[in-house]
Amino acid sequence: MADTTLTEGAAGAPARKPFPLAGVAVPLLALALLAYPFVFRLPFQHNLMILVFLYASLGQAWNILGGYAGQSSLGHAAFFGVGAYASSLLLVKFGIVPWVGMLAGGLVAVALSLLIGYPSFRLKGHYFVIATIVLAEIIYILFTNWPFAGGAEGLFLPLLPEGVVNFEFHSSKIPYYYIIFAILAVVTTVVFFVERSKLGFYFRAIREDPDAARSLGIDITRYKLIAMALSAFFTGVCGTFYAQFVLFIEPNNSLNFMLSVLIMLIPVFGGSGTLWGPILGAFILIPLSEFTRVYLSGAGRAIDLTLYGLLIMLVAIFEPRGLWAVVTRFRSRETLKWRFWKSQV
Amino acid sequence: MSHLRIPAISLLLISLLLGACVSTEAPAATTQAPAATAAATAEQVTVVKIGSPLPLTGSLAATGVASRDAELFAADIINGDYPDLNLPLAAGEGLPNLGGAKLEIVFGDHQMDPEKGASETERLITEEHIVAVVGAYASAVSATSSQVTERYGIPFVNGQSTSTALHTRGFKWYFRTTPHDGMFSEAIFKFLQDMRDTKGADITTVATIFENTQYGSGSSRSQNDLAAQYGFEVVANIPYPSGTADMTAEVQSLKAANPDVVLPSSYVADAILMVRTFEQLDFQPQAIVAQGVGFTEASFLETVGAQGDYILSREVFAADLAEKKPIIKTVSDMFQERYGHKMEGATARSFTAVLVLADAINRAGSTDPEAIRQALLATDIPGDQLIMPWPGVKFDPATGQNIAGSGIVVQAQEGQYHTVWPFDLATRDVVWPFPAWGDR
Repeated sequence: MADTTLTEGAAGAPARKPFPLAGVAVPLLALALLAYPFVFRLPFQHNLMILVFLYASLGQAWNILGGYAGQSSLGHAAFFGVGAYASSLLLVKFGIVPWVGMLAGGLVAVALSLLIGYPSFRLKGHYFVIATIVLAEIIYILFTNWPFAGGAEGLFLPLLPEGVVNFEFHSSKIPYYYIIFAILAVVTTVVFFVERSKLGFYFRAIREDPDAARSLGIDITRYKLIAMALSAFFTGVCGTFYAQFVLFIEPNNSLNFMLSVLIMLIPVFGGSGTLWGPILGAFILIPLSEFTRVYLSGAGRAIDLTLYGLLIMLVAIFEPRGLWAVVTRFRSRETLKWRFWKSQV
Repeated sequence: MSHLRIPAISLLLISLLLGACVSTEAPAATTQAPAATAAATAEQVTVVKIGSPLPLTGSLAATGVASRDAELFAADIINGDYPDLNLPLAAGEGLPNLGGAKLEIVFGDHQMDPEKGASETERLITEEHIVAVVGAYASAVSATSSQVTERYGIPFVNGQSTSTALHTRGFKWYFRTTPHDGMFSEAIFKFLQDMRDTKGADITTVATIFENTQYGSGSSRSQNDLAAQYGFEVVANIPYPSGTADMTAEVQSLKAANPDVVLPSSYVADAILMVRTFEQLDFQPQAIVAQGVGFTEASFLETVGAQGDYILSREVFAADLAEKKPIIKTVSDMFQERYGHKMEGATARSFTAVLVLADAINRAGSTDPEAIRQALLATDIPGDQLIMPWPGVKFDPATGQNIAGSGIVVQAQEGQYHTVWPFDLATRDVVWPFPAWGDR
């Protein structure tokens, strides 16, 4: 069981691979994605990629805490919802533009994460997971019963003239596309630098063996809190984006437990603790879910859910480290040799 | 590897859960009847497409599938020739003013997610080229779907969502056939007024008792407003936490306030406990008139048995309406036979929404959205052409709400709910006042 080491965690880093991922593939992919909305013009196609980017960003944010620092959270919907509600309440009740609200949403999520992170980081493993579920449920119940925030009926965001300032676009989804693409780029860049910094090594050390990390002088609680705050901030920012995109929020769409599950599912499926895992996960799971829902579930049969469940089971059985591990396995013979050698020892 | 174990175990659990969802939905999916609208293309008649986003998979799949079948059934009746049915467009095939064009419904699955509802609606408009929308069942999804139709300038005829927030947004393209929550609450007070004025019931005071979250407190608040409007005095408002284990204190304060009529807003477990506590403490108002929900769930009367007799509740639809409105029986039997579902609140309202929309498209004589909108504004369908207990369908031009809609009041008698109000649709006479607990 103990075959994961610090070196293997770093093996996901693209720079060490023979294929020049960072130099060629990433810029090409980015260019293709920038051109996408002008090649594929249907609103459904735009909507699809917006969701892919949104869930990739959420997965990437989760990845900081759950992947790198190894603290699995099943309560990220709380940060998402709080971010969505913060900006929406500021807009609806005080007329503050959503861009300020987005920053506020991120910061409120950070405050919440620190408030609950401090006591719950005393809990390890399963107990921490349970604590995050409970927290998210409490927030859900609070918002369901809070008349100021619209209660169970939710909040309608006012339909304002479209434009960058109002963060509302009615005639086309393309601006939303680029905004969420930018958010994904920012959060991925942050993860890229965290991965290579001292911070990233501390996170991985805490994940692999908290006691050993502590004995080496790492302030575990402090770095866990940093991971949680970073993770919560970007989750909250995504919440604001979602609220502006859908223009209606209610506890069921922004604080739901299934959302927490999906936020965790994407990086775990794609490869948690790796830079490209959450993005890969979102690029596979979201289109799968959308296409099957649109083209197969009209008959009322739950084929999409069946496929979803099947894929998850396959990954859980054959490569619990996620799809990115499969990619890296095929990408590098060296890795294969190394694994073979290692299995012989 | 230990950090991977938790996600992996969670994933397995989740996939099992998903699997469970799938297996519970399977029977609903197999009840699908032969699609009836496909025949249209063969004869090269024009087809009028309308869209319907519904929760076809996920937690409300059973209701979504039943609603879809009710809409398909409505399209059958429009497209086929049913001269014996007194429903809009039943006689003659298709839409006569459009040269007998057939109505086709394109369904979308929103899984109860407002975001998916909006994107499905947009997809139906841009890719399927639908001319109008019906659906979307859940109020939250109707909210976002109607934002999309508003933006594209496509009429939306909302058949089932009841949230009062929906028709007050100043939308131009939103129409709702079903009465909203406020109108359903009003049915209770209209009923009390009728009892007082025409049946000589001596009602002056009422009291509310309600579970203290969104549904219950909202319901009590609107009942207080309505009571003032209809000239009843509210002598007590008693909240309790839903899922409580004991209601003695609450019922004692009710007893002390001594209202003529008690108006509970409760979920089913609380409703059961409440009725039992009423009997234990021998609390004897003239009547108990519930705000649906817990009191009308099937398990309520099954559990309380004879104790539940003579309790009144407001309802959306009742099977026994068929006794006074034969059209309901004919349509329900046909629906049951072809699609295997019962006609009930959700299905009857879905069915009605499609007929109302088709009627407007036919009168417009065109698939132009603005012409359809104008025709919807001019809609005036009398109650005898509906399978609903409503006086008719007529939209308020300012809000798009059907102002002729209404709820009904049912009373439990011999272990079953029967329609007792409006009096012209009643299948039983209302028993008033409530017989003493000891005399049953």
